[in-house]
Amino acid sequence: MTKYIIRRLIGMIPTLFIIITLSFFIVRIAPGGPFDGERALPEAVKRNIEAKYHMDEPLIVQYGRYLFDVVRGDLGPSYKYKDYDVNTLIAVSLPNSVVLGSMAMIVAIIFGVSLGTVAAVRQNTLLDYIPMILAAFGLSIPLFVFAPLLQQIFCMQLGWFPTTGWFMNNGAPLRTAVLPVIALSFAYYADIARLTRSSMVETLRSDYIRTARAKGMKNSTIIFKHAMKGAMLPIVSYLGPAFAGILTGSIVVEQVFLVPGLGKFFVQSSFNRDYTLIVGVVIVYSAILIVMNFIVDIVYAYLDPRISYK
Amino acid sequence: MALFRKKEIATNEFNQVIVGTSLTKEAWKRLKKNKLAVVGGVIVIIYTLIALCASLLPIYPYDEAITVHRNLRPSLTKTAGDLMLEQEMKNLFFQAWRQGRLELSDEEDAQIEAWVMESKTNQVWDLVYARGMEALEAGSFEWNSSEQSRIDRMLNNIETETQITIDKVSVVYEGKTMNIEDMSYEELRGLYASLLGVDENTLEESLVNEVRSAVSNELRSKDSTLSGEDLDSSVEMEMDALGEDGIHDRASTNIIGYIEQIAQRSANSDIQAMIDSGSMTFPYEGTFDLSNGLHVELEVTKMHERRYIFGTDYLGRDLLSRIIYGSQVSIAVGIVGTVTSIFIGILVGSLAGYLGGKVDYYLMRFVDIMYGLPYMLLVIICMAIFGRQIVNLFFALALVSWLTIARMVRGQIMSLKNQEYVEAARSMGAGTMHIIFKHMIPNSLSIIIVYSTIRIPAFIMQESFLSFLGLGVQAPYASWGSLIGDAVSSMALYPYKLIIPSIVMVIFLFSMNFLGDGLRDAFDPQTKNQL
Repeated sequence: MTKYIIRRLIGMIPTLFIIITLSFFIVRIAPGGPFDGERALPEAVKRNIEAKYHMDEPLIVQYGRYLFDVVRGDLGPSYKYKDYDVNTLIAVSLPNSVVLGSMAMIVAIIFGVSLGTVAAVRQNTLLDYIPMILAAFGLSIPLFVFAPLLQQIFCMQLGWFPTTGWFMNNGAPLRTAVLPVIALSFAYYADIARLTRSSMVETLRSDYIRTARAKGMKNSTIIFKHAMKGAMLPIVSYLGPAFAGILTGSIVVEQVFLVPGLGKFFVQSSFNRDYTLIVGVVIVYSAILIVMNFIVDIVYAYLDPRISYK
Repeated sequence: MALFRKKEIATNEFNQVIVGTSLTKEAWKRLKKNKLAVVGGVIVIIYTLIALCASLLPIYPYDEAITVHRNLRPSLTKTAGDLMLEQEMKNLFFQAWRQGRLELSDEEDAQIEAWVMESKTNQVWDLVYARGMEALEAGSFEWNSSEQSRIDRMLNNIETETQITIDKVSVVYEGKTMNIEDMSYEELRGLYASLLGVDENTLEESLVNEVRSAVSNELRSKDSTLSGEDLDSSVEMEMDALGEDGIHDRASTNIIGYIEQIAQRSANSDIQAMIDSGSMTFPYEGTFDLSNGLHVELEVTKMHERRYIFGTDYLGRDLLSRIIYGSQVSIAVGIVGTVTSIFIGILVGSLAGYLGGKVDYYLMRFVDIMYGLPYMLLVIICMAIFGRQIVNLFFALALVSWLTIARMVRGQIMSLKNQEYVEAARSMGAGTMHIIFKHMIPNSLSIIIVYSTIRIPAFIMQESFLSFLGLGVQAPYASWGSLIGDAVSSMALYPYKLIIPSIVMVIFLFSMNFLGDGLRDAFDPQTKNQL
C-alpha cells in the first residue's frame, strides 16, 4: 500500500507538468498580449516593460524560467493587477472557493447517500419516488438556471436570505452561505443519489446479504454494516470527477451570489490575457483536482479489499 | 413436412410459430413500454422540428430590434401597443401618486413605500395601475393636460406607425440581377460607394472604423470597468482575432443594413402616399422599383399590432423567436459535439483496443492524463483567447469530450477481439481496418449510440454554461445559455426573461435525459438505473 501511495505521488508530477506546459503555451500562442494595447507608449517603453517581465526573451527561456519559479512555489507577478503577485491574489480568494466547494460536496454526499439508501430500501414507495424525482430535476436543471432562480425566489420574493455577501468576509452572517451551497450541491446530490440507489439495490440482492438475513440479523445492521461498504464503491469513484465539476460550477455560483472566490479571477484573467494569473489559477485548480483524485483512489483501495496495489 | 419447408419457420411441439427477434427489435419493444422515455422522445422530436423549421415559422426575425418595444412583458391577448400604453400609464399613475393626485388608502401608501424601499418595482406598478384605473373609471381621478397629451400622442402613434420589413433587396449589377445578400464584400462596397457617390478607399476606412467602434461597444457592455488603455488593448486584440475576413464579414453585414435603409427611405414616400390615399391594407406585401436602381420586396405592417407571447428583450427583440433560433444553436451544438466526440473516441478507442500492446498503453496513459485535467478550464481559456466563434466552441468542446467514449469503445473492442467471427474474418485475410470498421464497430454501435444520447444534454449544458459566462455564442445570435445569461442581471424587474428560456431549456434536458435513460435500459437492461 505504501509503495502504491508513493508511486501515485510520483505519478502526479508528470500530470502537473503537462498541465503547466499546456496552459503556458496555449495562452502564449494566441494573438495579443497583456501589454499590446498600450499604443500610446513609445516602442522603447514598451520594450522596457516587456524586459521587466522577461517577455523579450525567447519563449523557451521564458518557459524554463517560469517552470523554475513554479517549482520554488512562486507563481509570478500579475500583469494586470499591478503591484499584486499571483500568490497573493490566489491566497486571498482560494479559501472562499475551497470552503464553498467542500461545503457543497459534503451536503451533496450526506443527502445523496442517505436519500439514495432510503430509496433503495423502500423501493417503489413514496420514499423512493420523491428523492428520485428530485434527482431527475437535479440532472436536468443547469446550475446557471438553478442559482438565479434560487436567488429570485428566496432573496427577492421571500426575502429570507441576503442577496449578496459571503460569510467569511466582513462579518456577514452564516446564512449567506446557504443558497450558494444548495445551488452548487444540487446536481451532485442528483448523481450521488441515483448512483447510491442503483448500487444499493444491486448489493441488497447479493448472496452475502441473503446470508446475513438468514442468520436473522437486524435490518439496520445489514444495511449499515454490510451493504453500505460494498455499495459505496461506485460513489467513491464518482467523487473524483465530481470535484472537477464542483470547481468549474463554483465559477457560476460565485458570479451569481457574488462570492469573492477564484472563479472570477479565472474568467477575467483569460479575457485580459493576464498570462501568469491564468496559468497560476489552472495550476492551483489542477493540483486540487489531482490531490482529490489521489485521495479517492486511496479510499477506494481501503474500501475494496479485492483491489490490491502491489 | 412440405408445409414446414415452405414456410421455413421453426415450430415447437405445440405447433406454435417461433419468430426470432433481433436485439434491436427487442430493445425497441422495451423502449415502447417505457412511457416516460416515449414522451421524452416525442418532445425531443418536436423541439428538433421547430428548431429546423425556424425560418419557415411565422415569427418575427430574431435580430429585429424595435426600440420602443423594449422589455414588454409576455402576453397572449394584448398587442405591443396595449402593453406600451399600459407601461406608460403605470409610470404616469406612479408620478400622480407621488404628487398626491392619486389618492390611496393609508395602508396602501405604507405598502408602496415599503415596496419602493425593497425596490419591488413591479408590485408598485401593478398596484398603482389597478387603483388608478379604478379611480379613472369612478371619475375621482383625471389626467392633467400634459399627461393627457402624452397619452394621446402615444395612442396616435399606436394607430398610425408602420413597420417596414425588408424581405429582399436586389440590384442589377454588371448586367444581372443579384440579391445583395449573395454579393461579395468587394461588390457590396462598390455598390454602396456608387449609391453614396463617394470614393471606395475612404469608404473602406470608415467601414473598418465602424467595426472597431462596434467591437469597443460590445466589450464595454460586457465589462463596464474597462476604460482607457485596457479598453484600447482589448479592442485591438479583438480586431486581431477577427482578422481581415472577419472584419469584412461584419462590414458586409453593415453595408447590407445600410443599403436596406437606403431602399427603405426611398420606398417610404411611395408607401406614405399609398397610406394617405387609403389604398393600403395591412399587412401589405409588395415590390418597389426605386430610382437608384434597387428593387426592394417589402412588407408593411402596423408596428404596434405585433404580439409578443414571450415578451421582448432589452433591445426590443421578440423573445419567442430568439428562443427558437437559440434552440437551433443549442441543439446543433449538442449534436455536432456528440458526433465529433464519437468520431474521435471510436478512432482512438478501437485502435488502442485492437492493436493492444505499446499503442494501447500509450494511448490509454494519454487518456488518463487528460482525465486529470480540469478540462472546462481549458475550454474557457481556449474560448477567451482564440475568439468566441461557434466553430471554436465546437472545436473546444469536442477536443475534451471523447475520452469516455474512447475508453468505452476500447473495452468493447477488447471483448469482441477474440470472438469467432472476428477470427474467421482474420483467417480469410481481412485487414485490420476492415475488421475494426466492418465487424467490430457495428457490433458495439448500439452501446455507443445509447451513451451519446446521454451525452447530448451534457453538451448543451456546457455550451450554455460558456454562453452564460459570455464566452459562447455572440450577439446577434442567441442560445439558451446566452438568453439566460442576459436575463440574470435584470431578473428582479423582468423575471419572465429568465424564467421562460429556463423552462424551455429544462423541458428539453428533461426529455433528453428520460429518452437517454430509456434507451439505455432498453438496449442494456443489466445496467438499469446506473449512471
